[in-house]
Amino acid sequence: MKVGRWRLLLPLALLVVGGTVATSGALATPAQSGEVKVAIMTDCKGAFAFGYEVDTAGALAALSQYAGAKPKNKKKPSAGITGGTAGGKSINIVGIGCGDETPALALKETRRLMNQLGGEVMIGPLSGDEAVTIANWAKANPQKTVIIGTAGSQDPTMQIAPKNLFRYHGDGAQWNAGLGEIVYKKLGWRTAALIGDDYSFPWTSAAGIIADFCGIGGRITKRVWTPPAGGDYAPFIRQLPAPDKVDGYFWLVGGANTGAALTAFEQAYGSVKASQHSGNLFLFFLGNFATVAPKLIGSYMGGFGTAQTGLKTKKANTYVKQAGKWYPGVADVNDGFFYNYWNAAWALVQGLNKSNGAVGAALHRALPRTLKPAFQVANGGTLRLDSRRQAIQDQYPLQIVEGTDGKPAALVAGYVPNVDQTFGGTFGPNKSAPGRNFPPCVKRKLPWQGKVQVVKNGVITKQFIK
Amino acid sequence: MTLDATKTGAERAIGVVALVLAVLAPLLFSDFWLNSILTQALILGIGAASLIFLSAYGGMISLAQTGLMGIAGYALANMVTQRVPGGETKGLLLGWDPMLALVLAILLTVGIGLVFGAVASRSFGIYFLMLTLTYTVIAFLFVGSVTLIGGFSPVAGVDRYTPGFIGDIANDRTRLYYIALITAGFVYLLIRYLIRTPFGISMQGIRDEPVRMASLGYNVALHRTLAFGIGAFVAALGGVLYAWWFGQLSPTTMGLDATIQLLIIAVVGGLRRIEGAWLGALAFIWINNEVTNRIPSDGLPVIGGTFNTIIGFVFLALVIVSPDGLMGLWDRMWDAARRRGRPPQVDMETPEETAMASSS
Repeated sequence: MKVGRWRLLLPLALLVVGGTVATSGALATPAQSGEVKVAIMTDCKGAFAFGYEVDTAGALAALSQYAGAKPKNKKKPSAGITGGTAGGKSINIVGIGCGDETPALALKETRRLMNQLGGEVMIGPLSGDEAVTIANWAKANPQKTVIIGTAGSQDPTMQIAPKNLFRYHGDGAQWNAGLGEIVYKKLGWRTAALIGDDYSFPWTSAAGIIADFCGIGGRITKRVWTPPAGGDYAPFIRQLPAPDKVDGYFWLVGGANTGAALTAFEQAYGSVKASQHSGNLFLFFLGNFATVAPKLIGSYMGGFGTAQTGLKTKKANTYVKQAGKWYPGVADVNDGFFYNYWNAAWALVQGLNKSNGAVGAALHRALPRTLKPAFQVANGGTLRLDSRRQAIQDQYPLQIVEGTDGKPAALVAGYVPNVDQTFGGTFGPNKSAPGRNFPPCVKRKLPWQGKVQVVKNGVITKQFIK
Repeated sequence: MTLDATKTGAERAIGVVALVLAVLAPLLFSDFWLNSILTQALILGIGAASLIFLSAYGGMISLAQTGLMGIAGYALANMVTQRVPGGETKGLLLGWDPMLALVLAILLTVGIGLVFGAVASRSFGIYFLMLTLTYTVIAFLFVGSVTLIGGFSPVAGVDRYTPGFIGDIANDRTRLYYIALITAGFVYLLIRYLIRTPFGISMQGIRDEPVRMASLGYNVALHRTLAFGIGAFVAALGGVLYAWWFGQLSPTTMGLDATIQLLIIAVVGGLRRIEGAWLGALAFIWINNEVTNRIPSDGLPVIGGTFNTIIGFVFLALVIVSPDGLMGLWDRMWDAARRRGRPPQVDMETPEETAMASSS
């Protein structure tokens, strides 16, 4: 290369670098007042990449509904909002974090949003280990506020529980409340094996099933954990007891991998029998609708704290109308990903209104300890937070049925009122977080045992599951 | 003054300015830039320096350095974190003395590095590369699969348990920055010193002519093993700092992406000069941050993609224009200036040949 080119290229390169640095916030700048800086943290990569627009839609729709904001683009929630005030301050969405369900990227994005871009409140994250990471970050950043978007690990509000972190929905264990009792009573299961991904969310999800199923007298004979990256499930399936050695299986394989895992099961043991299989919400959602659900018509599965296929109450109908108008066609407002982010943002607006726009400790005090979300029925429709700022929430176990169009559909099968995070003392802040071997399979009386109500056609009946 | 002397003078001047800027950085930059960009660049630079040391002076491009950093970080994290109410939830939670844990983490990493090095010491080229990649993959799968030491969930709170001389870096991030700066300076001087020792010179001989060096009586495998051990020591320093900086560790910190990133940092900076490690790290992190902030997450028009696309283009352009990275660009600029005053035949020689000719 000739020297002459350097004379052109070097100043050009220096100009680009200098210009970018000057506009990048590299140099220390004072914080703005008169606005509240809100960050949304979700995933745009990995198994939950679909959640990016759905989660964002949930949060921004609530800000539109309750804070007077307006979507910039009704087809693309991530385009952001205009306007929006709460507590006399304008709401500034500083950024939408792009995670990939890994703790490392979640922390990196959190630091970018909250430390570089000056976010004062975060709504998010989406998944379990991300929430563990961000809860630890929150502990080290007590002046910031985190309202979990839709993550299901137990640790953030049980063992870690920083005072600046709030969760207005159940954890993965709570979402599965009632499922063990249903398969015990309706399908006659007495022994079961479980298979799940080897990280926080499936552990928590399994913990709820184990506590529920063992609590009523069932026995978990084998727990198999698979690397979360997916891949070949055959060696892990072979570790499960054969179908004639166990009454049923609980599937807690994350994302869309249940399809691959179930295929490996069929290769090992022949066709699946729906009455012998149950699992958490991933049995149906996340791409499993097409691959897994058709084979499991009749199976019961855990819920998401939402009456996924609708609940015929005035409050639920109002919510569907209100939430559905902001981003029509982009997201199903009954979906937990949308619903949980909606509730988080709604709680934030209430908190800011009460704190007159103040953030930090004032906002932590002002954030509501009760909320009236659409699918909460117990306590006159009021969801309460416990002392660790974790929701005590109604739950809805689901059943995979054949819809009117012949395709599988998830139907609400039961109603479990007021499910708290401790499962009647099974879990606690001084106990281990759910893991490969925790909790042990122990018979114990859970608060909702024997009180799981039948739901028919979207109506909660007085009947109990028998 | 000759051109070489001018170049040396210019490099020293740039070095002094960079050092002054680095020392004054807490006064000049925002907290985020200090903590997330500069501190991270110093730490990843140390990791890249271990890679460049092996590559530039040992002829070994190792992909094990990320794994070794992770091993040091995981060892430290498991040894220092504690099970207390409101505390950590993953890992062994041994709660050992942080000073003891620090020493043990570094020793463990060096020990593993020596074993890794001994196994790989007779491999060259692509075989060495693949073997060292295997080490990182083993480390990644090990920490991910053994949930006792963390599994795929993060082992957190590492920055809250530090030796007395390190102090409270969880709350005083400027302190951590200076610790990273001092460590980076130490690593730079250590490598500069080592390459001038008889060991370092024989390493460079082995890099260029392993067969000839063996026939002269040098134990090639032992030299390569020891060099790998030194690389592991440097990587361990980077790993410990990374654990303190990040505060929590998960397997992805030593996954395939992280391995490739460290290699990109080294290549962007320049695989032939140790200074390239920090230059490459700063460039990589800065581009990453700018792209993340400026480009929507659903990608660029037409080509799509985000940071990986951009860094891919930068990498490609750099490899074409200057295979020796940013430091190579600098050297080429001076070489071009030199060629203007030299007979044409000098152009036929590589920089190494030129250097050998001038030293003989």
